Amino acid sequence: MTFGGNVAVADASLAAPVGRITGLIGPNGAGKTTTLNACTGLVRPSAGRVLLFGADVTGSRPSARARAGLGRTFQTPEVCAAMTVRENVAIGLEARWSGANPLRQLATGPGRRRAVADEVDEALRACGIAELADRAAAVLSAGQQRLVELARAVAGGFELLLLDEPSSGLDEGETVRFGGILERIVAGGRRGILLVEHDISLVMAVCDSIYVLDFGEMIFAGTPDETRASPVVRAAYLGPDRDEARAAPAARRRR
Amino acid sequence: MKQLLPFIIVGIASGSVYGLAGVGLVLTFRTSGVLNFAHGATAAAGAFLFYWLHVEHGLAWPLACVVTLVVFGVVGGLALERLTRSLNRASPVAVVVLTVGLLLATQGFLALRFGDAIRYFPAFLPTSGFHVAGVGVGWEQVIGAVVALAGAAGLYAFLRLSHTGRSMRAVVENPTLVQLTGQSPATTARIAWAIGTAFAALSGLLLAPTLGLDATLLTFLVVQSFGACAIGLFKSLPLTYVGGLVVGVAASLATKYITVRPWTGLPSAVPFLILIVVLVAVSNTKLPDAGGRIIVADRRPPRPTGRSVALTIVGGGTLVALPFLVGTYLPLWTNALSTVVIVGSLALLLWTSGQLSLCHLSFAALGATTVGHLTGSGVPWLVALVAGGLVAVPVGALVAIPAIRLSGIYLGLVTLGFAILMQNVVFQSGFMFGTETAVSTHRPVLGFVDGRNDTWFYFVVLAVAVAVVASLLAIQRAQLGRLLRAMAESPVMLATSGLDVSTTKVLVFCASAFFAAIGGGLLVTQYGSIAGLAFSPLQSLLLVAVLGICGTALVRSSVLAAVLIAVLPGYVHALDTNTQQFVFGLAAVVAGLALANRPALAAWFARSAAETEDRVERGPISERVRATRRGDGDGRGRRRPVFAGRGAR
Repeated sequence: MTFGGNVAVADASLAAPVGRITGLIGPNGAGKTTTLNACTGLVRPSAGRVLLFGADVTGSRPSARARAGLGRTFQTPEVCAAMTVRENVAIGLEARWSGANPLRQLATGPGRRRAVADEVDEALRACGIAELADRAAAVLSAGQQRLVELARAVAGGFELLLLDEPSSGLDEGETVRFGGILERIVAGGRRGILLVEHDISLVMAVCDSIYVLDFGEMIFAGTPDETRASPVVRAAYLGPDRDEARAAPAARRRR
Repeated sequence: MKQLLPFIIVGIASGSVYGLAGVGLVLTFRTSGVLNFAHGATAAAGAFLFYWLHVEHGLAWPLACVVTLVVFGVVGGLALERLTRSLNRASPVAVVVLTVGLLLATQGFLALRFGDAIRYFPAFLPTSGFHVAGVGVGWEQVIGAVVALAGAAGLYAFLRLSHTGRSMRAVVENPTLVQLTGQSPATTARIAWAIGTAFAALSGLLLAPTLGLDATLLTFLVVQSFGACAIGLFKSLPLTYVGGLVVGVAASLATKYITVRPWTGLPSAVPFLILIVVLVAVSNTKLPDAGGRIIVADRRPPRPTGRSVALTIVGGGTLVALPFLVGTYLPLWTNALSTVVIVGSLALLLWTSGQLSLCHLSFAALGATTVGHLTGSGVPWLVALVAGGLVAVPVGALVAIPAIRLSGIYLGLVTLGFAILMQNVVFQSGFMFGTETAVSTHRPVLGFVDGRNDTWFYFVVLAVAVAVVASLLAIQRAQLGRLLRAMAESPVMLATSGLDVSTTKVLVFCASAFFAAIGGGLLVTQYGSIAGLAFSPLQSLLLVAVLGICGTALVRSSVLAAVLIAVLPGYVHALDTNTQQFVFGLAAVVAGLALANRPALAAWFARSAAETEDRVERGPISERVRATRRGDGDGRGRRRPVFAGRGAR
């Protein structure tokens, strides 16, 4: 992935299987969000492929990828301030169902409306924000807005959710509860999550496997325990002079 | 080549002036974030000021020139800067409402002060000339082109070489960083506006001797510099000047080759053709960030409550009783109902889906002409009305194509260009108004309802208007309404949720065009005959400005706007049209300011508000930086730490 000749992310490969929570961590500017954007099609990678359930979606538009089962949330919550929480969550479902079909965008039957209402209620409950359903999204805290985004992705029925720093803005208790929500989402074995996160304790607690990105390069992949023990990861977070292990990727960067 | 040379010379002479105006426009746009639709009116005001000084007061022309450029440039520039300061990053509708208001107020004032007739503008530059390869060239043309080039080149050098110039370029890139160096972005913006205003006035002075002193014509000609700005991608000053030359020569050559109706109007629309092609080709990503989004209605569509039901009953009763209450004013109210249909369709685009359309009356014109032609060939009126709506649907889809690639003020510019193309070319064709520049029809007789009777016709229009308003409300409350409101706020979120946003944009433009055309059909039926002039681009701009004044509700704002447009002028006999235009323009300026500063908008922008204030307002960061440089302390010779909290010393 390059921006005007600057390499933002190079040689990063990762796999996020269904039924699991996969973590993607790294220091600021490592290229985590860029990787997510490349996955969802908001930026076009200069090389490499994006496979979604085995199908190559590298050339597809973001909306087509979403219809194929890829949902996401954003680092700055993208909620519609002018709408209620319930409407915001319904949008996920309605957007995916309508897709590119003008007739579906234009009109819905009463049966469909009931089905939407039921799914929305379930998603609100699953994310623990049922009591906020009729509040305007504009008055919510940042943490609550993140939960609304999560509920929207859940209601959309996406098989793979890419969550971009979903726990920032949550306090400690809320983060613990949030981890539980994520685990419940993948519990059925139908959904997978790729979690980009700064809160390492959350990542260590809920992820099945972790990828570590630094300066656009994948420097480590492994289980939470392996990640915790890795000197490479430690060096990436604490600075290049702390450890000899940094020498290798740094040299490659200079080339 | 020899045959082309005269056209090229004329093109370079006028193009150089467009380039100069364009450079001024881009400069203010980039330093303040406000695209000034009144740039042409500023040019006209400059030319009139020169006329007032030189002709009416006998001031020598060089002195009159200096006063116009320096005094008017500085005073006008400072006033414009102050007026538009709060528009930075505001909704593009606020920008359109305020600057179009300025345009109308200026034109109204000039017409009030100097009268409607075109005045002879004295040729203050030498009118003699010389020959190049057998082609006559006027000294006036040469001087005009050279002065414009010198102005543009001088500005370029100023921006490159002087300290102030460098900080002006820096403000364009990052205003906050400029504050951190201790300079105030507001001062920079003031200088930019003064230069921009002086350039506009200069282009007015250079154009007026050949055109005569006509506020509308001058305004329109300077608006042609938008095409030049597009070639410079609204950021590069040298390219904008070159763009002016390209636009001038292309338009001039077009007058040589295009001599067959309906295409004769095309040459004057060439700059807008260039604007449309360039903007659609490059898309939003290559253009400078033009700031905020259109703020959609800040509340949910109201659910029926006891109060709203009661209001509907009272309102409905009033509407039914109206023909028996207003006497001879009834046609005004019938007109208002047709206008509600048109404004309502615009409100659906603007306030529900966040798409700016400055060509809305072009859709209405399609409806009007279709109804005229079809009823003329014996098609029943109702069928013709619906057919008129359907004819506008593919045109709506066509306008949606730029909407897929552009947003905000750029979409506004492209739609304005489309409206000008429609008026200059398509209106002249036999499908629309043709050579007679008007279209006519007759009132319908539907069973026992005799539309030829004004009262009955009022009820026919009322029925159609109610049906349209009910459809608009239904759209707003249904799934489509939710998708549209979400599209206005976060198209990226919708796309990553699976919605094909392009389809949604096409849908809303088609629906809006359909309803607008129905409104146009109603208008022509009421009057029996209507001219293409009623659907001019300026009227479309006016429509957006009035809707902006009336708030962001779908129905209530539309009704209020329709009354303002159709009914109020009929009741206010005391004010002639020029005074009305002046007063209305002032109202639009106030409305634009209100729209940009509305508390509800502030709430919406709450997250970025603190940052924006720092950036645009009186420059608190730069103040603080300057304070430390001066060594302002606590009065005891000690320096106060700037960013330290309490007790940090």
